[in-house]
Amino acid sequence: MNLFLTFQIALRSLSRNKIRSGLTVLGIIIGIAAVIAVMAVGQGATVMIQSQISSLGENLLMVYPGSASTGGLHFGAGTNATLTASDGDAILKESHYVRALTPITRTGGQLVYKEKNWFSGIQGVAPDYPKIRNWKLEKGSFFADSDVKSANRICVIGATVAENLFEDENPVGKIIRIKNMPFRVIGVLEQKGSAAWGQDQDDVVVVPWTTVRRVLQNSAFNDVNQLLLNIDSTSQLESAKKEITEILRQRHHLAPVADNDFTINDMTELSKTVTETARLMTLLLAVIASISLLVGGIGIMNIMLVSVTERTREIGLRMAVGARGQDILLQFVVEAIVLSGIGGILGILIGSGTAELVARVYGWPVLVSAQSILLAFIFSTAVGVFFGFYPAWRASRLNPIEALRYE
Amino acid sequence: MVIHLNQITKIYYSGEIAVPALKNISLVVEPGEFIAVMGSSGSGKTTLMNIIGCLDKPTSGQYFLEEKNVTNLNRNELAHIRNKKIGFIFQNFNLLPLATALENVELPLYYAATRSPDGRGDGNDLPHQSGVSSGRQKRQRANELLNRLGLGHRLNHRPTQLSGGEQQRVAIARALVNQPPLVLADEPTGNLDSKTSHEIMTLFKQLNQDGITIILITHEKDIADYAKRLIYLKDGQVVV
Ligand SMILES: Nc1ncnc2c1ncn2[C@@H]1O[C@H](COP(=O)(O)OP(=O)(O)OP(=O)(O)O)[C@@H](O)[C@H]1O
Ligand SMILES: [Mg+2]
Repeated sequence: MNLFLTFQIALRSLSRNKIRSGLTVLGIIIGIAAVIAVMAVGQGATVMIQSQISSLGENLLMVYPGSASTGGLHFGAGTNATLTASDGDAILKESHYVRALTPITRTGGQLVYKEKNWFSGIQGVAPDYPKIRNWKLEKGSFFADSDVKSANRICVIGATVAENLFEDENPVGKIIRIKNMPFRVIGVLEQKGSAAWGQDQDDVVVVPWTTVRRVLQNSAFNDVNQLLLNIDSTSQLESAKKEITEILRQRHHLAPVADNDFTINDMTELSKTVTETARLMTLLLAVIASISLLVGGIGIMNIMLVSVTERTREIGLRMAVGARGQDILLQFVVEAIVLSGIGGILGILIGSGTAELVARVYGWPVLVSAQSILLAFIFSTAVGVFFGFYPAWRASRLNPIEALRYE
Repeated sequence: MVIHLNQITKIYYSGEIAVPALKNISLVVEPGEFIAVMGSSGSGKTTLMNIIGCLDKPTSGQYFLEEKNVTNLNRNELAHIRNKKIGFIFQNFNLLPLATALENVELPLYYAATRSPDGRGDGNDLPHQSGVSSGRQKRQRANELLNRLGLGHRLNHRPTQLSGGEQQRVAIARALVNQPPLVLADEPTGNLDSKTSHEIMTLFKQLNQDGITIILITHEKDIADYAKRLIYLKDGQVVV
């Protein structure tokens, strides 16, 4: 008996009990659809995160004050006044790899324009900042070195801030109050969307870095929260890190045994961490989704066992007219595969549809990869074989006489 | 097709108690014979038929079918013989309730794909070897047979939509579809009225005239009269 006929027979016997077959298939559909949708959303998120990080600039290096071994990052920002703008100048002058550099100082504050209020993060940077971040201006212009030197009260605002304070008005040339001090808006940054870590990058006000310290914080300190710098290519990442470390150690007069009092990070590390987190989340969700597939598989096994018992006489008759054990085995395994295969195909369609819907409604990126479709199909078929085999084997071992006599 | 039973004994065990259903039966059936098996209930008729039909194995003794000792064959080899050499007709018809008349008749054809004589199929379905190959050819063969038995207008009916006589004719068509040389019928008219019974028996008579060996079990003398030879069983032994 050939496989094509076996499929035909399987389809025929399954269609004779449509409701039962349909419900059994439903179990698989739900399982496969859940797996497909979860993987699509997870993979979409991973791809988005990766592209965002690379759009951020793969050639970026970030220098923070504070040593890595004492938890650098975590109490680095602001607590150790170990990193200054002149460190930045020295790096820019002495390093062979650094193309551009900006100190970054941070604070936050209430913004007021007419009767509108908005709280936002305030970032102090140097004029090279847009170049380093690869961030264009939507309107107006960026500030110059002279503005930094004299700590002028001018600012460039992000799209979110522009929207909340100005709505349809053109912000360029307007005066807003930051922490109750008047600042002139000279430009608006292009919309950048939310970052990989979920933060809205457009909710920002950019001012000269000196302005943050001297004007907004009224401080005499000359330290910075971060140095953001751009090297020529990623291949130079390690050499650049080494060189910058040397320059800073020398400038900070660190003894050879002393730890660094600064930390250098690059984007690849961030990219790795974020991608790994996304991958783990996807995996976790996929495991949960697979459990429903397992439940679907047990459903198939259950129905096949019932079916074998119910059709004992049919099996006996088929044997009486010449079916061999393996024909019966194949018939029931194929029936299980047809059930799980149909469930798999419908599940893939419904899962992809759900993912597409999520993409449309929530603007969440999804990616239904050919790989996950293939995997889901193979998996569903395997579920059929696995859970269909035992009932089929039981059927194939029946004795024809006893099967025919079964009531 | 020569059937040769030599000292066949069949003992059933229900718990510790041994129930001998057949005792040392020896029997030769020549090709083209038409035999009626009679005997009281429990005399072993069905048991004998199941052994001849390769559905069951004797406890002892040898069974030769066309000179071949089938007593030692495995399950697959027996399945092959049932498929190719033997057509079975049951008292209760044993049709697949959810399949149409045509599908029921086609059933043995599905298992008739090319097989080597030892019963191991190679999975292929070559026309020059199996005689019946494509789905269309199968359908046609089943179709013709049902037409010949006067059921041309009932092809797509399910068994529940057929009368008893029609159901038995579907079962006969199924038994004949692989053109077996031997047809076995266990009380084929047991569930039919006497008029229909005689129609069915006329059919058997025609088949026998076409050269098919027929063995049938019956309780009724006028049914047995259609046969050319009578075997009478009593307590698992042949008495005539
Ligand atoms: N599976 C079985 N297990 C135990 N004993 C059995 C079994 N099948 C048949 N027998 C016994 O074997 C004997 C012969 O049974 P068989 O079915 O061959 O009788 P029969 O001649 O066909 O009877 P009937 O005319 O009622 O159909 C009976 O005594 C019966 O009880
Ligand atoms: Mg009987």
